[in-house]
Amino acid sequence: MPLAPPNLLLPGLRPPRQQRLPNGSLTVSLELSESPLVCIEVWCRAGSVFEAGHESGLAHFLEHMVFKGNGTLGPGDFDRRIEALGGSSNAATGFDDVHYHVLIEPDAAAEAASLLLGLVLEPKLDPADFEMERQVVLEELAQSEDQPEEVAFQQLLSAGCGDHPYGRPILGLRERLLSHTAADMAAFQQRLYRADRCVLALSGALDPALPSTAALHEAIAASPLAALKPSGQEAPLPALKVEPGHRRIALPRLESARLLMLWGLPPAGDLHAVMGADLLTSLLAEGRRSRLVHRLREELRLVESIDLDLHVMECGSLALLEAIGEEEDLPVIRREIETVLRNLGDAPPDPREWLRTNRLVANGYRFGLESAGGVAGALAGNALWSHDRSLEDPLAALEHWNPAALLHTCVPLLAPERAMVLEAVPA
Amino acid sequence: MTTIWTHTTLPGGLPLVWHRRPGAGLIAARLWIRGGSSLDPQGQRGAMQLLAGTMTRGAGALDAEALAERVEGRGAALRAEASEDCLVISLKCASEDALDLVPLMLTMAVAPRLEESQVDLERQLNLQNLQRQKEDPFQLAHDRLRHQLYGPGPYGHDPLGVEEDLERLSAADLAPLLADLGCGGAVLVLCGDLDGQLAERLHQALAPVSGWSTQAPTGGAGPVGAAGDDLAQQEQSTEQLVLMLGAATVPLGHADALPLRLLQAHLGLGMSSRLFVVMREERGLAYDVGVHMPARCGATPFICHLSTSEDRAAGASACLLEEWRRVLQDPLSDDELALARARFRGQDALGRQTCGQVADRQALLLGYGLGAEHVQACLDRAAGLDAQALQAAAQRWLAEPKLSLCGPAGALLAAERSWVAHRSG
Repeated sequence: MPLAPPNLLLPGLRPPRQQRLPNGSLTVSLELSESPLVCIEVWCRAGSVFEAGHESGLAHFLEHMVFKGNGTLGPGDFDRRIEALGGSSNAATGFDDVHYHVLIEPDAAAEAASLLLGLVLEPKLDPADFEMERQVVLEELAQSEDQPEEVAFQQLLSAGCGDHPYGRPILGLRERLLSHTAADMAAFQQRLYRADRCVLALSGALDPALPSTAALHEAIAASPLAALKPSGQEAPLPALKVEPGHRRIALPRLESARLLMLWGLPPAGDLHAVMGADLLTSLLAEGRRSRLVHRLREELRLVESIDLDLHVMECGSLALLEAIGEEEDLPVIRREIETVLRNLGDAPPDPREWLRTNRLVANGYRFGLESAGGVAGALAGNALWSHDRSLEDPLAALEHWNPAALLHTCVPLLAPERAMVLEAVPA
Repeated sequence: MTTIWTHTTLPGGLPLVWHRRPGAGLIAARLWIRGGSSLDPQGQRGAMQLLAGTMTRGAGALDAEALAERVEGRGAALRAEASEDCLVISLKCASEDALDLVPLMLTMAVAPRLEESQVDLERQLNLQNLQRQKEDPFQLAHDRLRHQLYGPGPYGHDPLGVEEDLERLSAADLAPLLADLGCGGAVLVLCGDLDGQLAERLHQALAPVSGWSTQAPTGGAGPVGAAGDDLAQQEQSTEQLVLMLGAATVPLGHADALPLRLLQAHLGLGMSSRLFVVMREERGLAYDVGVHMPARCGATPFICHLSTSEDRAAGASACLLEEWRRVLQDPLSDDELALARARFRGQDALGRQTCGQVADRQALLLGYGLGAEHVQACLDRAAGLDAQALQAAAQRWLAEPKLSLCGPAGALLAAERSWVAHRSG
């Protein structure tokens, strides 16, 4: 084992290990000495962006169906086994990828990994189970549609992203969900769950000297992950372009008005640009000293809250602003936001503001790596999308930014005229 | 895995309790003060949360901007919130910033500035938040259930408050609450990258701020339940009906708390739990279904919750009521009990992943006067509790549940029929 170089930016972390199985599937792992548990995550490049138009909702629906079992596990058997071992499991589907995870004590990790990989990679997709689970997915959709804020966000994405898959709901369109069959899903599954599209990430109590760690690696080598076929030629991901514009909708059951703004930003693969965007969105809206919060909430008291979230994604990242206030204040809220954005050029951050912003971004990243799940997710994301970067690279990338470069490169990306704006008001 | 905690006491009586967990280079700190929204004075519901929020808006020599700059300038996260039984100031920071920031937590509790304009802003934000909460049908159903379980009692309102009371609150109302803060005890818990040397320096840095007269919290009885309406219905133009079925039970330290926790694990924790399997997996009646049972020093609520479409409201409500009855009438099978115990044990390990989670749990235990050995004692005792003990606890505390419904008219009617049939059956 090579001696690890000292990791100055993340002093608590060792370098991760990577292992590629003969069929091309990749396992990444990192031991965290204080974690009492092992986190096992299967990630796959099979998010909703890979759905053809008629496949709306299949990526997420499949994530549900996985838990209905495979050739050896019946519906619910997996959860019963994992929970009887004191573990927990869950899954999530995004625009780009889907992941399934288990958290469990080290002695049960080998068994859990075998069960999880068997479940995720060889789902049964039984037609009767499919009918039952369709009802659950429709309930999930109804639950989300009963939250007017969710409806507003979906409308914003749909208006701003045009025909791009990011504009379509991950949960799917109801009429499509009603027409899908188990065979449609099987075709989707077989197309996307391939060796080179899957990454297994392990983190936590993985001391190489423990028998449980050796057993875990043996279980993986004997799992369906090792038997997956590679995929053929891949079409490039569709580039994202956010269309500027303005929309206004009235929503029933909305109590406070929302001003939403959406900007397109560089994709996840461009680490330098992503960290610049992170700095800029934090400078603008993280904490009471940030430009937008200070001006609109603390000084003018126009909004209950104002958030600017950066969603780092593969086709193109998104910056999403949400201001919550009274309907009659929306015009002045919008004007003030635009003024803050436009004034950035004339009032660049002073050294104190710059230091604060850097620390907020760096600590946010470090704090996110505290749990085994956070580490596994970061490792898996990098490996899954071939980003060829280490866990400390985002922190190193921060050091290549300065206020002048940020003003020159990033600020123009958040110009008000580049945004899709949506006003949502109570109906 | 045992966690070793070091206990010291600051001048004035505040216990300082810390545990070393160096990996991530950060420190999570919790200043846990007994006395949350259950101590809101009559006609001042929301006062403790307003006090907590205003603590972040200036303390000691720092005004609102200077305080924010001190915290955010270090890239740290700081919050102050009231829940039902406590007021908690939470901090997460890089360990090298702890000496600058941890003493500030104490200053916020002892000497918040409570400037009128900052109180006004915080009150306005809380009022807007209360208004926006009404968008969520789960929140509406839950608020109503609080009334059904606790009436006008100390647990009868959301910690955020009630509009009519909050509108009238001013800085002058907060001063007497501040004067009494800490009477019921408080504890400062630190977890993270600190050693004996840093702990000693923190102790010294905190001493001048202290002089705050408090002590380790003791048990003490918390608020009790109060009989309200058995059935509450709110009509909303939603697609789904939200159902909440619950009862007011026992304090965290009560002997029946553990059997009820095991029943929660059986019914509603995890994807192999009884409600999840019977309602979602076998019948597709709901997406999100579970049992909410927070930690309380008074009569803890035990609440089953789910949402379902209008056309399945009859089936879902009948099914939920039948499952509740089953817990009262039939002891758990050996397999069910073993699985519930495993989930309960697993929950404990799963809830200790970050310094913040570890600090939260320790603050809660000490805050409720339960002592560090409580968790292990519960795990040991859980292994010996049988199905009859669980059933007996259910019969003592879950025999008369209340139902809160929120949704479209047709679904309300269907669920009401199930309720009437259940009560007469």
